[in-house]
Amino acid sequence: MSEVKVGVFLSDPGRQLSEILDFSALANYLKNVSGVVFVARGSEFWRGKGLKTIVDAIESGKINRVVVAETLPKLSEVKIAQAMEDAGLNSYLMEFIDLKDHCVWPHRETPSEATEKAKAMLLGAIERAKLLEPLEKLEFSTLKSALVIGGGIAGMQTAVDLADLGFEVNIVEKEPFLGGLAARAGRFFPTDDCAICIQSPASDVKTITHTSRKCVYRSGFTEIPNLNILTNSKVTAVEGPPGNYKVTIEKKPRYVNDKCVQCDKCTTVCPVEVPDEHNAKLKTRKAIYMNIPNVHPPIYVIDESVCKFHECAKCVEICPTKAVELNQKSKQITLNVGSIVVAIGFEEFDSSVIKEYHYGDYSDVITNLELARMIDGFGPTGGVIIRPSDGKPAKKIVFMQCVGSRDRRYKPYCSNICCMISLKHATLIKSTYPEADVTICYIDIRTTGREHEYYYEKAREMGIKFVKGRPTEISQNPETNKLIVDVEDALLHRFLEIDADLVVLAPAMVPAKDTKELAEILGIELEEDGFFKEYNAKLRPTETKLKGVYLCGGATFPKDAPTTSLHAHSAAMKAAKFLTTGKIVKDQKTAVINEEYCGDCEFCPVTCPYGAISLVPTTEDHFVAKISDLLCEGCGICVGTCPLNAIELRHSRPNQMLAQMKALMSVNGTSKPLVLAICCSECGHTSVDSSGMAMMQYPANVRVMKVPCTGILQIHQFLEAFKAGAHGVMVVGCKSNGCHYEVGVQKAEKKVELAKALLKEYGIEPERLEMFNMVFIEGDKFAEAAQMMTERLEKLGSLQLMESS
Amino acid sequence: MEHEEGGKTISSAFSDAITSRLGGETITLCYQCGTCASSCPVAKITPRFNPREVIRLSLLGAKEEVLSSDSIWLCCSCYNCQERCPQKIEIADVIYALRNIAFEKGYIPDIYSQFASAISNDGRIAKVSQFMENKRPTLGLPPLQPTGVEALRKILSATGFGKLKQKEESP
Repeated sequence: MSEVKVGVFLSDPGRQLSEILDFSALANYLKNVSGVVFVARGSEFWRGKGLKTIVDAIESGKINRVVVAETLPKLSEVKIAQAMEDAGLNSYLMEFIDLKDHCVWPHRETPSEATEKAKAMLLGAIERAKLLEPLEKLEFSTLKSALVIGGGIAGMQTAVDLADLGFEVNIVEKEPFLGGLAARAGRFFPTDDCAICIQSPASDVKTITHTSRKCVYRSGFTEIPNLNILTNSKVTAVEGPPGNYKVTIEKKPRYVNDKCVQCDKCTTVCPVEVPDEHNAKLKTRKAIYMNIPNVHPPIYVIDESVCKFHECAKCVEICPTKAVELNQKSKQITLNVGSIVVAIGFEEFDSSVIKEYHYGDYSDVITNLELARMIDGFGPTGGVIIRPSDGKPAKKIVFMQCVGSRDRRYKPYCSNICCMISLKHATLIKSTYPEADVTICYIDIRTTGREHEYYYEKAREMGIKFVKGRPTEISQNPETNKLIVDVEDALLHRFLEIDADLVVLAPAMVPAKDTKELAEILGIELEEDGFFKEYNAKLRPTETKLKGVYLCGGATFPKDAPTTSLHAHSAAMKAAKFLTTGKIVKDQKTAVINEEYCGDCEFCPVTCPYGAISLVPTTEDHFVAKISDLLCEGCGICVGTCPLNAIELRHSRPNQMLAQMKALMSVNGTSKPLVLAICCSECGHTSVDSSGMAMMQYPANVRVMKVPCTGILQIHQFLEAFKAGAHGVMVVGCKSNGCHYEVGVQKAEKKVELAKALLKEYGIEPERLEMFNMVFIEGDKFAEAAQMMTERLEKLGSLQLMESS
Repeated sequence: MEHEEGGKTISSAFSDAITSRLGGETITLCYQCGTCASSCPVAKITPRFNPREVIRLSLLGAKEEVLSSDSIWLCCSCYNCQERCPQKIEIADVIYALRNIAFEKGYIPDIYSQFASAISNDGRIAKVSQFMENKRPTLGLPPLQPTGVEALRKILSATGFGKLKQKEESP
């Protein structure tokens, strides 16, 4: 490599920094630092004249390393990096420091100490810059097709959005018909219109609008040319890197082909009759069936678990179009897609586990979803509310909220939508049957959405009774078979035994059955509540840690229809953004293996939070780790884990870190013991920024070194810091549960603990090393920690190290 | 309802006193759903005891009202409330914690102090009257044997039961 020539650029916007720092002393100091060939001082270097100074120095060949002491971190860093690339110098050959927030503001009361610290900071940046290496921009091509898992309202809307944008879309539904939970809900709040429409989200594509109505009902979802619908199908495996997922799907046979004309003749001859799951088992269906009219796809299906097939074959004989094919076999389909959207929704909690409510024992205790089937005109009762035990109309109806929700024995969370479902059902019943006696037993009524409170108001107007109290038990009068709900009206302090023809439970909403299995297949995580975990609940609610894999709808938490739609469109947008470029671009700040040192220990593949490391066999009958540049996020947790020092991060190599560490400790300038604060680039380093911005004061003997994630740290580095002259070491990372690389800070916490035990063995006070967790806005916490650490070290006295031979 | 008392509001001071005691740890989870009350066989027959109200009054800091009333002594420890509480509050144990606090403050119903003196004086949980002793032979029962009350007293004093007796004797 050619000679390293460092240019140092000191910005002093509005000359505010030079009020504290002695810039001429800094310039004199820099002159004598080896490798520094160019020093410039200016108002700002990230735009205009200042930026031109950098560009000119690069273009004239004077410098090939850039050290910038600039304000506005990130913004100025990005601008300068871009200019460097334009000038023909790799932008990774830059080191950036923020003298204002890290030195001038926090030490403005001790200007001479600040100047000495600035020297150390500059030297640290220079020494690191000298060892930096050029890195490439990596590009990985991706496919422009998508897979949507789940054919409910979330999945269907996402699929239509992506298909309308021109992507090849596959939608997989495990049931024989599309629609999901929504198709069974009858009507939807907040408009009480028919949920059945949901089975056909509208497409905006002009070519099919002539077949569509304004009502999304019969919109022609199945006619979108680049939308491939796979019902009766299940994802069984997903392989391959992001953007090139190879998906295996098992498609169960339908036994009826698309010649089906829905004439219904087959069901008239089918001899097998079973309870209809879709209609809450309130009626029966045949082995060959279609669950409601106008479903998608409009093709009958044979339930293979009950059909007698060739023994009977009456449907084959009667079918006028020869659509029944009893010899169809299960098929394995392989799809190659760039992106996957998970939209598998949620389902009702199994209320039968709460024994005192006797769901499953008493047939007149039903759930809201079962009631929805009765309210639906297409449902098993044609819209009449009956007592399932005798089929007679139900006149006294009691709703019970929070069955399994807000219950620490089952689901501790509030399921979000059940109050509104019960209010919707109660008001629908009351408007059709004004004489019905309807009571809702609740703990708290939660109606937080638009128009939602109106339902509560309407319900009270209609004379629906509200009892604040969670019933303890449902019993049955053995003579009349009527149900009795035992509840305390907590507002009246009175015990009620409410007679009921029908008790409707509002069960918790829980993750869909296949959630765990699918998470394992995809390699993404679940939250503690069992639902899929978003990348970031606030700002990236549809993303996962896997590039190209998105979440929407009830798969992340129970949602009502409006929120599900928002979520679905949002996921489609994210997937489209990912698909449309056809490539993933990222930088090469990734980990690299030294195969010579790598053994067969398997630590790093297990530790990597991104599954970026695999073990590949070598010729000598052992394995070496291999890192995927595509999956690697550059956290360095593997580096911190490797017992053989066989892994390095390209942009944070141990020699780069060591050089910077030594430089930071080379100048003190204060009477206080030197402290090295190793901060992660996320919360740790930015909390130092924010303490500076807020002008909080801490002593200048505290020196900050940035690492990608505290997870990169190895125990010997703490010892090196002491050897380099530190009397104390602070490790500053994100909050334990808030690591930007998932597990890095937890690893660091453990390592600090271990290192403390080791220090004790060496005769070094373990208190000299301490772990801190903070977030950006906790600048005060950093200043306090720095102050505390300094005071502690002053008490301990200076560190005496034995010279190693 | 809330007054400052040494930097803490009275309500939080009282709930801290309960949560720091064995059995009382879970009281603050209560959201007043009333499952305990409607599960309670005592509450169903007398308005003098309602577990939901005891918890609410305690969390609001109505210390004297809770400790001085006979309410907390009426719980029959059937644990039905505790089985069914959706917040997993150990309600029957909370009541025990409250009884312990009440006892320390000098609130104890007569029946409990009588019970205490019976057990430490005679080693029996009920007083045996002369009438009963005379009756025994007529029913073919052997005369009562001495109870080994000395050993029992040692156990009682080691486990702190002695304090209960002192309380009873002092006023």
